[in-house]
Amino acid sequence: MSTIWTVKGGQILFTNFKSKHQTIFLDPNFEGSLDLKPKEKVNVILSPSLYWVQKVSLPVKYVRDVKKLLPSLFEDILPEGNYSYSAYKSDDEFYIFAYEDKVILEALTSQGVSTTSIVKVYFAQSELGDISQSKTISPDESLYLKDGLLTMVPSAWTDSSEALDLKDIKLSKHSITLQQFGHIVDNKSLYKIAAIMLVISLLILSEYVITSKKVADISKAKEELFAKHKLKSTMFQNEAMFKKYNFIHKKQMNLRQVTAVVLGLRLNSGEKLSILEVKNGRLNVVFSGVSKGKEKHIKKALKLKGVTFKDSFKSDSWHLEVTL
Amino acid sequence: MNRINPLYVGLLLALGIVFLAFQLGGAKSDLKEAKEEYAKTSKIATNLSGLKSTYADRKKLKASLRRILALSGVRQANITKDEKKSGVKLSSKSMDKKALNTLMGKLLNSSYNITSMKIKRLSEDRVSFKMEIKW
Repeated sequence: MSTIWTVKGGQILFTNFKSKHQTIFLDPNFEGSLDLKPKEKVNVILSPSLYWVQKVSLPVKYVRDVKKLLPSLFEDILPEGNYSYSAYKSDDEFYIFAYEDKVILEALTSQGVSTTSIVKVYFAQSELGDISQSKTISPDESLYLKDGLLTMVPSAWTDSSEALDLKDIKLSKHSITLQQFGHIVDNKSLYKIAAIMLVISLLILSEYVITSKKVADISKAKEELFAKHKLKSTMFQNEAMFKKYNFIHKKQMNLRQVTAVVLGLRLNSGEKLSILEVKNGRLNVVFSGVSKGKEKHIKKALKLKGVTFKDSFKSDSWHLEVTL
Repeated sequence: MNRINPLYVGLLLALGIVFLAFQLGGAKSDLKEAKEEYAKTSKIATNLSGLKSTYADRKKLKASLRRILALSGVRQANITKDEKKSGVKLSSKSMDKKALNTLMGKLLNSSYNITSMKIKRLSEDRVSFKMEIKW
């Protein structure tokens, strides 16, 4: 069962007065209970049971160069799992770490420590790696330094041991950030998905900007069109004017077409065109010398030209009416 | 230690994409509408401009009518011209066939808005003539 070790008043756990936050030691084998105030902020030091550590000398200068190599350096050592890595430099050597965020988070949860109440998380190696003698964590376990690496050993193995005191501990800068959701999606996939979504967003955004610009350009061109043709301010007015002039145009074209047909008629001897009149949208034609029954050749010619008409006889004249 | 759930981040990005796509859809629709509106306006503007210059350009119509009436074949017909703001009335109590042919040929081949007209045969080669043109 995972547990957080705290000791009060001479036992183990303590408050770091400098930072005004309590510092707790998190060990998965602790079987006690933690007495934290609700919403109290704490720093957490991870027991060596919660991480894997190596001290290595590498032909690189900076930690950032080492971080790229971490997965391969632990490749043959770690059991299967979803690991995060960390490293820091001390003198000419690098301390490199592998840990499972999920395991640490479970250990915290089992002790009722919310992730929101955690200030920072440290490895015991970075914070307690300079102890001169073994430190008792529980009646069964102690911290022991061997070859510069801090490990957990059964308390029975150590001859002289004193309780771990975190009261005046000065925490280093080597903290880590737990990936709370690393087990759901790993970082690389997350970045890839985020990058793809971002690219899609940018594409859509650029398309939106281009489209909006096109709309603005068309709107400007439309204004120029209004100015160029001296149009009225509303399309309603312009459409009404267009209808009016188009109506006039059609009537006038029709008038000229029908007049041309009438004037081009071949009349028989004695037949005469007496009156040609345009009135109230109608073309009235009066033929004299056309007796009833003799108008057929004119009617035929008009029908051939597609002219529709009404006709009537009055005394000796034949009246023709064409609606324009 | 307060880390945001990546699912929330993903959801936020997805919502962002949906929002942008919605905005883009609206912009595309606006563009289509603007294009159609422009095409319609352009067509009406061109046609209206042409029709107005044909039937409503008083200055141009008056000048061309003056030229027609000044033609030697038409001048002899003594055509009376009654010009008003809205148009002109032309009339001749008696004119010969030849003058009528010249006059009608010119008037009908030009783009005047002829609202009324009456040509009446008086004899074998003479007619009376009335015409009203509006602009």
